[in-house]
Amino acid sequence: MPDRSRSVLRQAVPPVRRLLPSVLLGVLAGLSSVALLASSAWLIARAAEQPPILFLSLGVVGVRAFAIGRAVFRYLERLAGHDAAFRQLAEIRVGVFERMLPLAPDGLASSRRGDLLSRFVGDVDELQNVSLRIVQPVASAAIVLAAAFAGLAWLAPGAAVAVAVVLVLGIGGAVLAQVLLAARADDRLAPLRGELQAAIVEHVQALDVLVAFDAAAAGRDRIRRLGRDLERATRARASAVGLAAAAMSAVGAFAAAASLGAAQPLLDGGRIDGPTFAVLCLVPLAIAEVAAAIPVALGSLRVVRASARRVADAVPDSVPPEIPARPTAADRDASEPRVPAMRRVPTIELRGASARWPAVAVDDPTDGAEASALPSLAPLDLDLAPGERVLVTGPSGAGKTTLAHVLVRFLEYGGSYRLDGVEAREHDPREVRRVVGLVEQRPWLFDEDLRQNLVFARDTATDAELLDVLDRVGLAEWVAARGGLDSRVGERGELVSGGQAQRIALARAMLADFPVLVLDEPTASVDPAQADALLRDLLAAAGRERTVLLISHTGAPAGLVDRTIELAGNAARRRPDLP
Amino acid sequence: MAAGGALALLQAGATVAFAWALSTLVVGLIAGEPPVGASTIVLVLLAAASVRALSGWLWEWLGSAGAMRVKAELRDALLTRLEDRTGRRGVTTARAATLLGPGLDALDEYFGRYLPQLVLTAIATPVLVVAVWTADWVSGLILVIVLPLIPVFMALIGLATEVVQRRQWDRLQALSRGFLEVLGGLSTLMVFGRAERQSRRIRTVTDEYRSSTMKVLRVTFLSGFTLELAGSLSVALVAVSIGLRLVAGDMAFAPGLFVLILAPDVFLPIRNVGAAFHSATAGLEASRDALDLLEDRPTSASGLRTDAAASVDADRGAADAGEGLRVRDLVVVRDGTPVCAPLELDAARGEFVALVGASGSGKSSVLAAMLGFADRTGELELDGVALGAGTRRLVAWAGQAPQLVEGTIAENIRLGSEDADPDLLARAVAVGGVDLDASTRLGPSGAGLSGGQAQRVAVARAVHRALATDAPLVLLDEPTSALDPERERTMAVALRDLARSGRIVLVTTHRGGLGDAADRVVRLREAVRA
Repeated sequence: MPDRSRSVLRQAVPPVRRLLPSVLLGVLAGLSSVALLASSAWLIARAAEQPPILFLSLGVVGVRAFAIGRAVFRYLERLAGHDAAFRQLAEIRVGVFERMLPLAPDGLASSRRGDLLSRFVGDVDELQNVSLRIVQPVASAAIVLAAAFAGLAWLAPGAAVAVAVVLVLGIGGAVLAQVLLAARADDRLAPLRGELQAAIVEHVQALDVLVAFDAAAAGRDRIRRLGRDLERATRARASAVGLAAAAMSAVGAFAAAASLGAAQPLLDGGRIDGPTFAVLCLVPLAIAEVAAAIPVALGSLRVVRASARRVADAVPDSVPPEIPARPTAADRDASEPRVPAMRRVPTIELRGASARWPAVAVDDPTDGAEASALPSLAPLDLDLAPGERVLVTGPSGAGKTTLAHVLVRFLEYGGSYRLDGVEAREHDPREVRRVVGLVEQRPWLFDEDLRQNLVFARDTATDAELLDVLDRVGLAEWVAARGGLDSRVGERGELVSGGQAQRIALARAMLADFPVLVLDEPTASVDPAQADALLRDLLAAAGRERTVLLISHTGAPAGLVDRTIELAGNAARRRPDLP
Repeated sequence: MAAGGALALLQAGATVAFAWALSTLVVGLIAGEPPVGASTIVLVLLAAASVRALSGWLWEWLGSAGAMRVKAELRDALLTRLEDRTGRRGVTTARAATLLGPGLDALDEYFGRYLPQLVLTAIATPVLVVAVWTADWVSGLILVIVLPLIPVFMALIGLATEVVQRRQWDRLQALSRGFLEVLGGLSTLMVFGRAERQSRRIRTVTDEYRSSTMKVLRVTFLSGFTLELAGSLSVALVAVSIGLRLVAGDMAFAPGLFVLILAPDVFLPIRNVGAAFHSATAGLEASRDALDLLEDRPTSASGLRTDAAASVDADRGAADAGEGLRVRDLVVVRDGTPVCAPLELDAARGEFVALVGASGSGKSSVLAAMLGFADRTGELELDGVALGAGTRRLVAWAGQAPQLVEGTIAENIRLGSEDADPDLLARAVAVGGVDLDASTRLGPSGAGLSGGQAQRVAVARAVHRALATDAPLVLLDEPTSALDPERERTMAVALRDLARSGRIVLVTTHRGGLGDAADRVVRLREAVRA
């Protein structure tokens, strides 16, 4: 696990060629800052000796140049640094998503949406500090410090040693203060932020119920408590950072005093002149300012590590056995549509096929995983000839939806599931899904317009085709009344009723033209009169060349299906279709 | 606040003392005549540095404590505001989540850094300028001229930044909404073989976010640049002017060095303001969004609001006051548009009534109005009391979406009535037909249950509330839509029994079974579309 978070950290560090400009600009800015103080100290001390003004002109030019240079270089450095850091974020974000895919959807169902969102947005953003606050400033500061110490040592080795000793002690003290005060807070910050976010999302999503049940105040209390914990951690961290900053500001003064003490014998012995002495006494102030970046960076490192760990852990490491394994990376580019291996309608053959759901993964690993309450599928035999229409019925909890998920390879199965005699495991699950389509019990509508919600099923579809398919699912009038394909469906389809959402989902499946179509309770939220009509429309639209597996606990009107299979929880028995 | 002011003054005083001590020592030593009490001056130097550091630390601590307080209050106010369910259509879950999470965190910088630094600047800068002026009025004059220019430039840059910041905030919203959508619709995307493609979309969105952020930063960093430039150029100006006057013999070395040491410190507070400026303005954008939401009163037209409108009805006989549910000419209004045809309905206690109508005819909206979740016109009374947001204790409700929360099934069913008699749990479970162990733990948003199971838990939850709080009105929205006929019959009987215990049970349904079992069926006509 630490390896994975380390690789996330490494991923956040921009490549050298992007890092180099910002480091170099940082060095120039730091050197300008030290040189500005050195040259102005020299200028004043030399002027006090009242030499001919010509001797000062170099100092005057230097002071002005360094003053401008410091501001310009700092501005450019910040821009270059941010750009380099941001470029890495896209990589990390896509990386998280791609690790999620093999588990989706049934291996992910239990991850908190809010928590994932916080990891995906907040923690990944935090990772920009790997480059911005750690790698880049430390590299710049190290180079500037080396150069400054070389300069000091050249003027007065004793003073250089004295300043170095004070600085090392000061930085050490600042770092120690942070470790003692902030280490725990830093480690808790990111997880607490995630927990708070998860609590907020759940609270907002269930707000109708919470309000109706007078439980909103309790939910708010819980959020308030989490907020307080987070705030305590944030404050502990802020005070540690403040203490480090305070230590570094005091260190500047102490280093100046140390340098003064070390250089005084040289001045008394006439080995250095007055202006040099003034430079030696003042420059430590600027050096300490540069060095202050180091404890800040070490403080950030801990926060960033926690975020990297959370990004690395956002998705379980291993695919549970209940989820079909994904093909190797070799055919990763299979997302490009290529000619499917089995476009024609296959014969489907289930022999003793069984399945269960992965355990509900609880976020806190100490809680362990809970056994899933979702119904499992008892060993089932089922044959679907091409073009056949079969109704699967049975009480809820018999595993009807589980069967649907097996057929589209969301869930791994025991026993045998063959397509045209070939074991489904042999195929890429995505290939299987090109043949077997599913309309889910609770279809997801995207917060876009109607067109966007349909067209992703077939990119090439024209508006006319979209309207035609909407007509086939009985939505023509409704679409016209709503203002056509541009009308929006709202967040999670809240602007359309349950029945309409089902119809839109059916339209989507019709567009994708699956040879085998699994309909999971398509009429659950449609009027009975309409339900029968809808099933008729739908099966008519599907045509006889397509296999349709209809799942419904209410059954279907006579004559619509060829056969009925009843799932009874433990055993499935076949039953002749009633006339 | 007074303590804060004293701290700021202390910090400024220590800075001046430090500059004085260092310059006195250096000048004395160069002149070859160590000042009297040199060791005392060294002590002053070290003490001043320590005092400055410590007061700076305390200052920071005070600032972050204040920020936390503000944030907690704002979060609480926002959550409370969201609980007003009528005018919330514009607030999506993602928006609320971004606003309450990262949005408020952005305020840390504003209240925890920016504001305290601003106060520190206001207090400490004049003290330092006076100290410089006393030592050398020319340098003092340079500072007095340069310093006021800084806020002017900052304001100009701030104006330019505001628009881009706003756009930036919208982008962050789009980013998180986009991800929630991909996540929620992942199974749908997989069915259609579109999941892999989302990586590209995520990369594009993130990259767009980067380039737009860089555009913003180019402008916002300008303010830092202005500050830095003003600061270092003033130091250069002061140094050169002092140098020239020293050569001419117009001033002494000691005050010159004192001013030189102090000059960068005059700019330090305001430079820190500039450093906090970028993140602080981002926070300000977030807070504006939050404040917009807080001020966003329900947009109902006058006279639409529930409670006041349903005052005493003149022609209502005293006899039927206080008798059951009375609905007259009820029209539910969402976003200013009527969403159902006028409804007339009477139900006495003990009655089990089914509300039917085509899908889209507004059955759920009628229930929402009874809960005060939607605006309405017309009369809506229970036992003579107008129903609305203030009367939710009279109502037990299960909506079409189960909206379960993380926790055990029992915790979900006992929601809001955690102290109720434990026996009620078993009765509620029986009515709802929940056949799972009540101690089963559910994942976030009730994950781990099938659609039908979740619905039965939701029904049990409503029944439990009715039993626990003795709520007379039980509203169930399509309670049997995912049940097989046999279970539906069982539930219908249980609901009738529930009604017989002195309650009004109102269900919406489109299925025969439940309607047949009800005492009465009321049909909601299709709304006439304008």
